[in-house]
This record gives sequence, C-alpha cells and structure tokens, in this order.
Amino acid sequence: MRATALKFAAGLGAVTLAMSMAQPAFAGKLQDVLSRGKLIVGTGSTNPPWHFRDESGELVGFDIDVAKIIAKGLFDDETKIEFVNQASDARIPNIVTDKVDITCQFVTVTAARAQQVAFTVPYYREGVSLMMPAGGKYADYAALKAAGGDVTVSVLQNVFAEGMVKAALPDAKVDQFESVDLMYQALNSGRADAAATDSSSLRYYMKQNEGRYVDSGYSWNPQTYACIVKQGDPDWLNFVNVALRESMTGTMFPTYKAAYERWFGESPSEPKIGFPAEFR
Amino acid sequence: MVMDAFLAQLWIARWPLFDGFLMTIGISVGAIVFGTILGCIVGIQLVFGSFLVKLPFRLYVDVMRGTPLLVLILAAFYIPAVMGLSLSASQAGTLALGLFAGAHIGELVRGSLQAIPPGQIEAGRAIGLRFPQILANVLLPQALRSALPPWINTGVELIKGSSLLSMIGVGELLLKTQEVIGRTFMTIEFYVFAGILYLIVNITLDVLGKSLERRLGARL
Repeated sequence: MRATALKFAAGLGAVTLAMSMAQPAFAGKLQDVLSRGKLIVGTGSTNPPWHFRDESGELVGFDIDVAKIIAKGLFDDETKIEFVNQASDARIPNIVTDKVDITCQFVTVTAARAQQVAFTVPYYREGVSLMMPAGGKYADYAALKAAGGDVTVSVLQNVFAEGMVKAALPDAKVDQFESVDLMYQALNSGRADAAATDSSSLRYYMKQNEGRYVDSGYSWNPQTYACIVKQGDPDWLNFVNVALRESMTGTMFPTYKAAYERWFGESPSEPKIGFPAEFR
Repeated sequence: MVMDAFLAQLWIARWPLFDGFLMTIGISVGAIVFGTILGCIVGIQLVFGSFLVKLPFRLYVDVMRGTPLLVLILAAFYIPAVMGLSLSASQAGTLALGLFAGAHIGELVRGSLQAIPPGQIEAGRAIGLRFPQILANVLLPQALRSALPPWINTGVELIKGSSLLSMIGVGELLLKTQEVIGRTFMTIEFYVFAGILYLIVNITLDVLGKSLERRLGARL
C-alpha cells in the first residue's frame, strides 16, 4: 500500500515538473503571435451584424472585419486568423487565461471591466435608435415625441427596456418582446409604431430591407465598443492600437470604410487631411 | 407561407446543422466510451478496494455527482488553462462530460456488483478461481447486464448535457441552431427543430436499449 502511495506521489511530482518546464519563456505577445504565424481572436457567432455565420457557414460581420485589419497589420495577410468561438460571458475569462490573443466581440468599454482587461482604442459607438415603417404615421423623432401616449414602441425584453425607451419618449407605451423576430413583426403588423433597438442592428436590418423602413434621426444611450487584450503587455496593446487607429484615420481607412458600409449601410466620415484631428 | 419560409431557411442551413448534429453525437459517444471505462474501474474499486484505495474514488464520485454539469464544463475549460495546459473547447467538453459520466457509471457498477449475493464469490473461490477470474467470469457479466438500463439513461443524459457545451463555444447542435437563429431571426421554429432532433436521438437510444435488454435478459 505504501509503495502505491509513493508511486502515486512520484508520478504527481513528475507531471508537475514536466508542466513547469513546458511553460515557454515569455517574450511578449507580439513576438509570440508573429512567430506562431497566426492571430487567435475570440469572438461570437450569433449576433449580426457584428459576428455571425452567413449562409455558407463563414464567420462574417464588423467584429470579424476589425480582426482582419489587425491580422493584415501583423502578417500582411488577413486570412491568418484562428477564430475561437466564445459566449459573451467568456470574453474576459478567455483573455485572462490566455485562450485568445485578443477579443473583438462588441465589448462595451466600462471602467469596471478596465480593471480586469486592457481596452484597445474604440472602433464603434453603439446607441439605441428608433425605426419606423417608411411612409407611416410618424415621420421622425419629433413626430413620435409630439404624439406622446399614442405611440407604442416595440423593444427586446430586458430589465432596462422600459427605462431605455422612456429616456427618449417619456410618454410612449412600451411593448416588450422575447425575440428580435417578434419585435420586428409587431412593427410590420402595426401593433407598434416604432421599434427601438441597437443602432447597429437597425442599420443592418434597414440595409437588408432597402426602402421599407426609416430611421427616426435620433439616437441615445451611447456605449463604446473596443477590443480587449490581456493587461501587462504594453507592446502588444500599442501594436493593436496602432493597427486600429490607422484603419480609422490613416492608410487602412479604405478597408475600415468598406466594412462600415457593408454592415451599417452608410459611410463613416472621412479623416480630414492636414492636422490629425484626434489630437485636437 | 411561414412554413415555406422556414423550410427554405432550413434547406440553406442544412449542412451547418448537420455538422452540429454530428458534433453532438461524436462528443456524446466519446464521453460515454471514456466514462464507461472509467466507471468500470471506479465501480470495482469502490466495492473491492481497500479503504485507502476507496477514498480517492469516493471523493471523485461525490465531487462529480455533487457538482452541476455546467460548472464541471467551465472548470475543465479554464482550470487546465491556468495550469498552462490549453485544451480546445471540444477536448475540454468531452473531458468534462466523460468525467461526469465516469462518476455516474461508477455508482451504477458499484450498485450492481453489490447486488450479487456474496455466496457467488465464495463459490468461485471454492472451485479454485482467482479473484480476477471471478470478476471476469462470474461478477461482471451479471453486474453489467443489470447496469444496462441505467447506463442507457446516462447516455440520454449525456446527449442532453452536451448542449451545455455551446457555452464554451463547441459547435454542437444547439450552438449551430443559435447561429442560424442569429441570421434568420426564426427563433421558435429553429429551437423546436433542434428539440425534435434531440428527442429523436434519445428515443432511438431508448428503443435500442430496451431491445438490447430483452435480448440479454432472455439469455440469463
């Protein structure tokens, strides 16, 4: 019996030793990624227009295009990416445990999250917008607001939904729905006068259904989206920041612009030539 | 018209859904094979092992059976990563399901071994059989037969439990279904479809198990 216990302990010791020796010397994430030859990106697969699978099963969306901009900066080849599929809850754990090099998955920048992970520069500002049927009863936000209690707004069910709509339309009736399809159905059937949801989702939906809907022209509830990386590696963070910033202000702007137009159906404002406006 | 739209989308999504279905089956089969081997070892040790040998197996079974499967899955995905061993999501998922199955099957085997009257071991000894021979020729054939119905049950639990792997990003049936819903917004239709697929697999497994039981029972 004692012999068995000894063997067991020896085995455990050997495994621990082997594992501690298997840990490579840390040379910085940027060097790791370059020598590996591909970028490992954490993202999701169920939220258009950010990250979802198209009809052929390819992962596409604005987050995916942002990741490709970073891979292009690393390898001059946007295909050298391995996407790791993760649930929204897994975004921060997968960064902290080194499962992925970077996560681009509509992560809202908050001070609380910045204590656990490092945020890159932002690449989009999300908000909430109102969408109405084209040529319907109400033409724009002013008309909706003027109608007061006569307006019904359909919204995706969640704890904050009621307050979110009331912040823009204090007197409107709020109808909550369990899924996106039901929310849009309420609008189509006339049960609701407007649908309130993420601006990006509305823009994408309007692009899919050209001419059938109009935007109210008012958006509120700002949230900033950025990628996240592990804390404690300034070279890696700086590299990603440069790649992202130059896609919005510099040489890679055409790529960013094409992605923006593809997923949101409108063009981002062109960087002004001359003084770099981000330093103003 | 709604049905036509759904069928059209289902046709477009057939291959991803089929891949997810295969992944669900593959992971469940892997987990049940791993779990069965582990479970037999555990069950035998729990009955015949000395106190010190029993202790770690007892601990393993109680921890596994007392922990929610989702917690086990997250643990199998993150704990090795912290120790510097990076498992892919599907490896971690199969490991978690296999360890979970091993504990449950271990208890099944223990129960059915203990249900065999001790007189049989004594009789085996009396005719000069050694313990491994008694185990292989007398005890296990009976024990595994009586463990078959709950074993099928564990298999059904594993197939259903594999849907939790969507949480760590394994592309099994549920996640593939969610991906299709993300694109088509046909929430209820596709969830019902996935539910029916799970149901068909589990009912098939149940029917297979029942017929196997009858055949083996007849030979007793």
